[in-house]
Amino acid sequence: MKKAMKGNISLITGSVMVAITFSLLILSFIWTPHDPLEVTPDDSFAGISSKHFLGADKLGRDILSQIIVGSRVTLLVAALAVTIAMTLGVSAGITIAVASRKLQAPMVYAVNIALAFPAALLAIILAAVYGASTLTAVSAIGLATAAAVAQVTRRTAYGILASDYVLAAHACGASTWRIIRKHVMPNLRASLLIQASAVVSVSVLAESSLSYLGLGTPPPAPSWGRMLAGSQQYIFVNPLLAIWPGIAIVIVVLGFNLVGDGVREVFDPTLRRSDS
Amino acid sequence: MSLLEVNNLTIAFGDKKVVDSISFTLEKGSRIGLIGESGSGKSMTSLAIMGLLPDTATVSGSITFEGQELIGLSDREHSHLRGNRMGMVFQEPLTALNPLMRIGKQIAGPLMIHKGASLKDALGSALELCTKVGLPDPDRVLRAYPHQLSGGQRQRIGLAIALACEPALLIADEPTTALDVTVQREVLNLINTLVDQEGSSLVFVTHDLPVVSIMTENIAVMQLGQIVENATVASLFQAPKHEYSQRLINAARVAEDAFSGTGGIK
Repeated sequence: MKKAMKGNISLITGSVMVAITFSLLILSFIWTPHDPLEVTPDDSFAGISSKHFLGADKLGRDILSQIIVGSRVTLLVAALAVTIAMTLGVSAGITIAVASRKLQAPMVYAVNIALAFPAALLAIILAAVYGASTLTAVSAIGLATAAAVAQVTRRTAYGILASDYVLAAHACGASTWRIIRKHVMPNLRASLLIQASAVVSVSVLAESSLSYLGLGTPPPAPSWGRMLAGSQQYIFVNPLLAIWPGIAIVIVVLGFNLVGDGVREVFDPTLRRSDS
Repeated sequence: MSLLEVNNLTIAFGDKKVVDSISFTLEKGSRIGLIGESGSGKSMTSLAIMGLLPDTATVSGSITFEGQELIGLSDREHSHLRGNRMGMVFQEPLTALNPLMRIGKQIAGPLMIHKGASLKDALGSALELCTKVGLPDPDRVLRAYPHQLSGGQRQRIGLAIALACEPALLIADEPTTALDVTVQREVLNLINTLVDQEGSSLVFVTHDLPVVSIMTENIAVMQLGQIVENATVASLFQAPKHEYSQRLINAARVAEDAFSGTGGIK
């Protein structure tokens, strides 16, 4: 791992950013400066002080504490959305790629329809049926991004299946299943990592917007997205309120993207600097 | 019984016939060269024998291999023969190897598929195969990725994979076209030696007449999907019966003359 890190600026920077987010998550279970939900009218819009390191919002709730606890929702959303999107998307994409010509067309249409379906609409439907919660938001995000993952997986898998080394593997008598495991999956890995890191970013941002629309994490549980949305109306009075959750979101999104990029470099032997 | 009997083999994509009722036989331990320009159907013929034609191709006629009819064989049944009874070497040795898999595992593949060998045993055999195809430092080669080897080394790996299960038939589809001229000779000699050693039969596909003439005793000249002449190397060179064979020989002579100084290059 040390060797992989060496000179890989994306991976180093990204790992630090992701590590910061995960330390916030761990910290949230151990200690917060204040109860993040504690309302103290006297501290309304309090600036940076020794009592409130990052200030307080309109109701006098401590911003730092909210950010620390808010990391739970963000990372939960990211983890679940990636799991849903990648599991569904990758299996659908590969299934379509190896399916017979006749079956391919209807499956591709199905993916295109899913792709055209707006995530917000899906979230509204799910929220109407099951009630607004982090889980319904995550399901909507996961399902919506799964279609995009399926599309990319299918196209990349087509290219791999058409390659000479897959033909050569067939010529060795390899079964379709073996070809998927030994040839398609490893060669998909780089593009899947990029996809996964993109899904993390999209889902963190989408959860923020869905929470803003009242379709995500319901109040009062702190969520970076809702903090950002809530601070919108005070942006000229107290811009710091919007900046803190904004920075937090940027760190997660950028961190995962950089890690995705850096890890791709580690997995691709042709991009490796030192020979094995 | 011949090892391979191709009878009236026709391969078509839609209305377009790329191979038009060709027939030839190959005895056990003997060799045949398929020669012709691009699009003459020589590669399609070899893919048909391997059962690797795309789904869109319609195939008729008959191919019998070791007494078994291959046309109409299910892909699953055909896959028991591929890499096992029949092996194939491809034109472009870099793209024919999985870029993300170490060489050792790629050579071990057919042994694990067909012989039920464990990875450890298969890697042991892979080491022997590397030595057999003349790769120096086989331990290092097994741990290497394809991009870390030279073109000639990669083609030797391709040969090791094709011969891993000691097939009765080796199909070489332009195995030296993508290689440097200096390396070509080495690889051709290697194929020669190994095919003799294993007692395999060889189908050698190429567009290069001088190459095929040192590799095989029989040549089938293909043009537009048909075999226009099927002769021994000697009789083809002395008295080509078909006009297209004559042109191929003339083309090869031009190159020869150029080297001997009677042609264009001084």
